[in-house]
Amino acid sequence: MKGFLLTIISALLVIIILNVGYYKDWFQAKPLQYWTDFLKEKDDTLSEEGIMASRYGISYTMSMRIKHVLEQKNVVHPIILFEPNSYYRDSLHIYPKVHVPEPAVFYYYTGLEGVWINSPDADKANYLVRITSKGVALDMIRTPEQRQQLLAFYRKYPPIL
Amino acid sequence: MTFLVFILLFICYLVSGYGLLTIFGMRLKTAYMITLSLLLGIVVASFVPFLLQLFYVDLTPTTIFGSLLLAALVLNIPTWRRIRKEGFPAVRRSFALKPFRILPYEVPWLLIFGFFIFVSIWRCYYLPPTSRDALSGPEAIADFAVREHTMINSFFNVDLWSTNNQFKSPYLISLQMICKMAGFPFGQVWLSIVFVSFMIFLYHALKERVHPIIAGLLLLLFLMTPEMYAYTFMILYDYSNMIFFFLSLYFLFDYFKSGIRSHFYFAGLLMGIATYIRSETLALAVLFLPVILLSQRRNKDSFAKIVKADVFFFLPSILGYYLTAQFYIKYYLPVHYDIGGLVNDHLSDLGPLFQRYSDIVTRLMTSEFAIHLWGYILYVTAALFLAEGIFVRRYSRDARNWLYAILVLYLGVGALGFLLPMMNLNETTKRALFKLLPLAVLYLANNQLLIRLSQWISRWEGTPVHLFAREQPSTPALQANAVLAKKAPVKTGKLASAGGKTASPAGNAGKTAPAPAARPSSKKRKR
Repeated sequence: MKGFLLTIISALLVIIILNVGYYKDWFQAKPLQYWTDFLKEKDDTLSEEGIMASRYGISYTMSMRIKHVLEQKNVVHPIILFEPNSYYRDSLHIYPKVHVPEPAVFYYYTGLEGVWINSPDADKANYLVRITSKGVALDMIRTPEQRQQLLAFYRKYPPIL
Repeated sequence: MTFLVFILLFICYLVSGYGLLTIFGMRLKTAYMITLSLLLGIVVASFVPFLLQLFYVDLTPTTIFGSLLLAALVLNIPTWRRIRKEGFPAVRRSFALKPFRILPYEVPWLLIFGFFIFVSIWRCYYLPPTSRDALSGPEAIADFAVREHTMINSFFNVDLWSTNNQFKSPYLISLQMICKMAGFPFGQVWLSIVFVSFMIFLYHALKERVHPIIAGLLLLLFLMTPEMYAYTFMILYDYSNMIFFFLSLYFLFDYFKSGIRSHFYFAGLLMGIATYIRSETLALAVLFLPVILLSQRRNKDSFAKIVKADVFFFLPSILGYYLTAQFYIKYYLPVHYDIGGLVNDHLSDLGPLFQRYSDIVTRLMTSEFAIHLWGYILYVTAALFLAEGIFVRRYSRDARNWLYAILVLYLGVGALGFLLPMMNLNETTKRALFKLLPLAVLYLANNQLLIRLSQWISRWEGTPVHLFAREQPSTPALQANAVLAKKAPVKTGKLASAGGKTASPAGNAGKTAPAPAARPSSKKRKR
């Protein structure tokens, strides 16, 4: 009988903790939501890339799109210049919802070399990723002068994560 | 097929970790033997590809899995010798599940723990690594290492201006490589082994001190720390670092009580592992020198003995630091990292130091943000700490040890943030505070009020659990003996009268003679 009472007390304590203050909000928003996710995820047929896209979001999707476009164009050694994230923050006001990955993470996603305006290889960039309100564009940088103009334009926006 | 490989890896971790435990002469309860074997096995596995890299051996599945197998065999040479001498039952005893039993009132706790653990394991398995610190360093290096058969790979050719994560310990890289080669595209599953092993270890450690209901309550508070729970399925260094730092202190404090020398050296090894995972742990390790010296002085150890013991204690930490933070970076990585350049060059201005201490308390420990990080566990700890001070008016030796550890961590992490400004408050310092939580939980398990409550529940229950009684043997090793001697009658009335006078059972270990069945022989103490 006493063991039974202690079992009831244990169960009550668990319920109380799960429902007290911030624990309640967190438990419902995270572990319980994760359980709901599990019920969906266990039956889904997403590929590795699909799971990564759903987890990493827009920056991964954009990176993979760039990769596919460059593969289609058979570009031998693309070096992709990214606009600074501070440009999206200060000028376009779309940051942090929209941002580009840092070169290290972009390389992890795609195996391609990305550069920021302050990167040592920025002078070798041959493509520019532009994000506008209309979408993402991958522009070829055709001349050194064009590259210098771009670098000069973006220099007032320091790279941020 | 992947599941089969996972099982084989699991066995490999278990065997190699068991070998390491045997080398250190550790004979503990089954739950500790299994969980520590797995945790140590993971560390051995994390060291193997790193070692191969140091010798410029190609990191292929053949070399890595072959070396893991070899490591498991080599580490178990003492075990083979023991089997030849005493027969296989000698080893089987280490994993005997006979004393393991679940009481009905543990079931609600185990169910909720099971839920948290299951969700965590699934996310570990299903989702890719997410934290930016992993993606911009170890995870990317591991990914390309699998393709290029070396940790020093094409990742280092890209612009790494925005990150320093490529300079961190190869611990994550190695484990990710092993899992990816085993067929898990996102790696990570090793983290579940670490997580579950630690939960089991901690639950058993708590149950030795307080009633299972209170142990369940404390473990649930520990598990429901929102920030830390996320790192049970997102690989990074801090969760593993926390575990080995805690385990080191667990065995160090145990050595203070029991005098079992092997536990002292084992604690040194565990601190070395924590340092290998996060190099700045070395600074925290050094801060425990005063209590170690105090204990050695109390034991009236000779100067030569103290020096020898302390050298052996700190050697793994020094090696763990030097190998990963100096040797590997300086002589192997193609990019230079000037750690000296990261040090604050305004050390005479102590304002930022005190500001950091203040920020840790006001922002990371007591604000609304702190509740979002840790839940209410720090508030519960603070309340019971004050209550113990007011109502009991003294803290047991065990409680003091854990409180000292909390203080060291607070002072150490704050000082590190001052010395290395790149250790920012909201990320690095926040994650460094993971280490605070198991210390807080163990302090709570040695809180006199909770111990008295445990004793009261036990008496009321009529089936006293003698593990947290006054006669409790002081070490997990001896606990194993105690469990075997469980049929001996326990005088509950004596426990009741001991309430006011007794400190925690462990705290009194030095003053009160342990029960005959659990009394360590002098031979054992020298082990």
